[in-house]
Amino acid sequence: MKIDRRLLINFDWVFLGVVLLVSAIGILNIYSAGHNLYVRGEPLYTKQIYWLLVGLVLMAITFSLDYHTIIRHAYLIYMLSIALLFLVSLYGDITHGSQRWLVLWGFSFQPSELMKLVLIIVLARYFSDTAEEGYPPENILILLAIVGVPFYMIARQPDLGTAMFLGVLFASVVVFVGIGWNILVSFVAGGMILTPLCWLLLKDYQKERILTFLDPERDPLGTGYHIIQSIIAIGSGSLWGKGFLKGTQTQLKFLPEQQTDFAFSVFAEEWGFLGSVVLISIFLALILLSLKIARNSKDLPGALLAFGVTMFIFWGIFINIGMVLGIFPVVGIPLPFFSYGGSSMVVLMMGAGLLMNVSMRRFILQP
Amino acid sequence: MFGNRDRLANYDPNTFRKKIRAVTWLVLCAFFLLIARVWYLQVVRGDNLRQRSENNRIRIQEIKPLRGLIVDTRGDILVDNQPSFDISIIPEISKDIVDVLNRLTNLCDWAGDGLSLEKAFLKFGKTFAPVKVARNIGRDKLAVVETNSLDLPGVGIDVVPVREYIYGEMMAHLLGYVGEVTALELEGSAFSAYRGDDIVGKYGIEKYLDGFLKGRSGGEQVEVDAVGRRLNVLGRIEPVSGYNVVLNVDSDLQKVCWDAFLEEAGTAIVMDPRTGAVTAMISRPSFDPNLFNRGISGENWKNLTSNPLCPLQNKAISGQYPPGSTYKLIVAAAALEEGLITEKTQISCDGTYQMGDRTFRCWKKGGHGTVDLHRAIVESCDVYFYHLGDMLGVDKLAKYAERFGFGSKTGVSLPGEKDGLVPTKGWKLRRFRKPWQRGETTSLSIGQGFSLVTPLQLLRAYCALANGGTLYKPRLVKRIETADGQMIEEFPPESEGMIPISKEHIDILKYALWGAVNEPHGTGGELKRKEKDVCGKTGTSQVISLREDDEGQKGEIRYRFRDHALFVCFAPYENPVVAVIVIVEHGGHGGSVSATIARRIVDGYFRLAQERHMR
Repeated sequence: MKIDRRLLINFDWVFLGVVLLVSAIGILNIYSAGHNLYVRGEPLYTKQIYWLLVGLVLMAITFSLDYHTIIRHAYLIYMLSIALLFLVSLYGDITHGSQRWLVLWGFSFQPSELMKLVLIIVLARYFSDTAEEGYPPENILILLAIVGVPFYMIARQPDLGTAMFLGVLFASVVVFVGIGWNILVSFVAGGMILTPLCWLLLKDYQKERILTFLDPERDPLGTGYHIIQSIIAIGSGSLWGKGFLKGTQTQLKFLPEQQTDFAFSVFAEEWGFLGSVVLISIFLALILLSLKIARNSKDLPGALLAFGVTMFIFWGIFINIGMVLGIFPVVGIPLPFFSYGGSSMVVLMMGAGLLMNVSMRRFILQP
Repeated sequence: MFGNRDRLANYDPNTFRKKIRAVTWLVLCAFFLLIARVWYLQVVRGDNLRQRSENNRIRIQEIKPLRGLIVDTRGDILVDNQPSFDISIIPEISKDIVDVLNRLTNLCDWAGDGLSLEKAFLKFGKTFAPVKVARNIGRDKLAVVETNSLDLPGVGIDVVPVREYIYGEMMAHLLGYVGEVTALELEGSAFSAYRGDDIVGKYGIEKYLDGFLKGRSGGEQVEVDAVGRRLNVLGRIEPVSGYNVVLNVDSDLQKVCWDAFLEEAGTAIVMDPRTGAVTAMISRPSFDPNLFNRGISGENWKNLTSNPLCPLQNKAISGQYPPGSTYKLIVAAAALEEGLITEKTQISCDGTYQMGDRTFRCWKKGGHGTVDLHRAIVESCDVYFYHLGDMLGVDKLAKYAERFGFGSKTGVSLPGEKDGLVPTKGWKLRRFRKPWQRGETTSLSIGQGFSLVTPLQLLRAYCALANGGTLYKPRLVKRIETADGQMIEEFPPESEGMIPISKEHIDILKYALWGAVNEPHGTGGELKRKEKDVCGKTGTSQVISLREDDEGQKGEIRYRFRDHALFVCFAPYENPVVAVIVIVEHGGHGGSVSATIARRIVDGYFRLAQERHMR
């Protein structure tokens, strides 16, 4: 295979640099959160490093393939991902009462994370195909099926947070494409029909968990407590922070889920307002760079792909940080590139690979 | 595939850029919102929250619910909750944990039981969360710890309810026991609603109905000071007590059964043939379930598990025995129903039966002479049934055995029930890859050979004969209710169908069972009461098959090779109200040991009924 020289010239080093910077800070943060914790075997920060390396390899693969090729196989990829979700429902590992993990050769993986990226790819394909016809509204059922099937399967696990995240991604892309409010309204209606259907399939304790999610006040000793501790952790970081490895909320285990959902709280406690602003700014830079890639794309599939991945990263940041700051209810959405989690890290790296893919091919037209 | 030219034609970079610009503004707004909130928390409220983090002693304390009680059919409490005292340590307050641990050990003169603090410390790290180090300490130790509390920083006493099994080993197999949920159990899906230190049922009813008994935890959000004293309760959710379970078991009758045994190992079950209600069930030897409350010691556990008489096994449902002569009733029923014999069919017994080159013997040397079905059952003539078995064949016999409920679990509400075994030609081929031998049917027709039943299955089958043909599901649990007596679930009699035997044939068999107890030469003569109302059948399950020349030394054969003695009976003859099975392990040939015990139980049952009637 002959490598086009322009690909190398246009390789987005800055973007890659920002991604690696966030990941590195994330790993330091995981180290701090775990350094007073007794764990059997490998500590989480080294595991995260391994996942980052795996992610980099997959990222390289993702940007090496022309994104048009990826788009061309969008429906196949989508079907395979649905099959993975189906496998989860059959053989998935059950932890804390929900079935999300697929264990292969000792590695656990969450296909629902992958589905977020696949949804973006399949929507990019779908809207590219229908752009000429001006997004005929009669195709709405197809559109609903595309998002509805994975939504239903993930909600059933149950993992309502991830399912709703799919909904948010979908809505973002639909609004952006501008195919009209009627589609959005139908989507909401479809959701309202699906929800009670899911409800019937859930067990009592699962329903209880969802009710608590919708109304944390139901469980002031669980979720409510988490939020209080998170706010104390962040606020007590004050202007300068308590210093690396010195966050009392973190080290004394007042803060729950320190390495995953509440990773930002750990950082904010130890690095203070200044650290938080720096980290949020880096995240902002990441989003702005991604939007630039979308803006500079030469064709519709590339633009949609770039925009979708941008939204994937953006909503992850906004929902997660908003959650630990007490703006949003507690949902299990990780902070992109920052929280501990293999599936999330690997999938986001592939997302970043897609963005770089679009970026470096912006001057090349398909022969 | 799609052409690029069209795509470009349709792609308008300008509108797209406009949209991106709009999105950029929205993103900026969102990030501004985040920064503003961070600024508010860290700068505006920073000092305040810093203060709070330094005084942060807000803890969630779980309030464990009271576990439901288990009561007998008349409301007599079988399992109660009693307060006990646990010692826990808050590592962050103790500072030097090993030192505190040593002092604690010296003060209480502990032999180190249950104190594995270093391990706990490793597990929890520096934490304000209390770590449990000793369970269920006695009041003497409690006093010592209390008076020395100043020298024991971070050491606290928790009052926790523990299970008290009032009847001790008498009901151990029935009620079971509880223990802390293990890490292994927590990983499985069945325990998703449980937490690390939850108490769960491990055996018996405690296990089977754990979901009803355990209740729901409450919790308190409490503020504690720097040394862990509670200052303030910020919020509280009351725990919900577990449901109470009402059994069909009658504790008085259970005691009768328990006392009916002397030193023998074995089991007895009492059932109401009209409803399938199990009113007593014992298994001996037994164990004290209260031992498990205090965290059973390694030595005790070893004694229990290494005992060859298997005290931890509930022999009533997990013991599998060849049914011996009690099986002859099923063979007779099948032969009658298939039309192979009638009540009047006579067969001559000279003490031996030839099948190929093997000689099978009747238990009675010299034989019974010519007998009809009635006499064959009364005197338990083996040769008669050898002939019937051969006429039926193994598979036809298996068909009837299955309809009598053999070979599958009865579904009684206890864990660990066994299936038993109804052998067929196909089974043997699968299991041993060898074809069925005709002689094996011969052994089978007197309940020896491959056939295995659990005592509960056998009793249920006899109950079906007693009540005119209905196979009831054995029911231990009568109902489940809330702590204040509201009904949650009731368990009415549950029929599992009729045995495929006509009323007329059942009557023939019932009469023969009456004869076995009350007629001259009947094998169950021990049960002959003055009312002459008991019907029953003895049985012997062979532990090893003895060859003819061993016969002379039978008295001396070692205990563990001795046969099991069986007796199953019901009373009165008309409209039976009680059915009893007794199995004495290694009780020897002929079933007289078990018949003696069954006699005590039947007498006890009617004595209790009379006493209650008088009152």
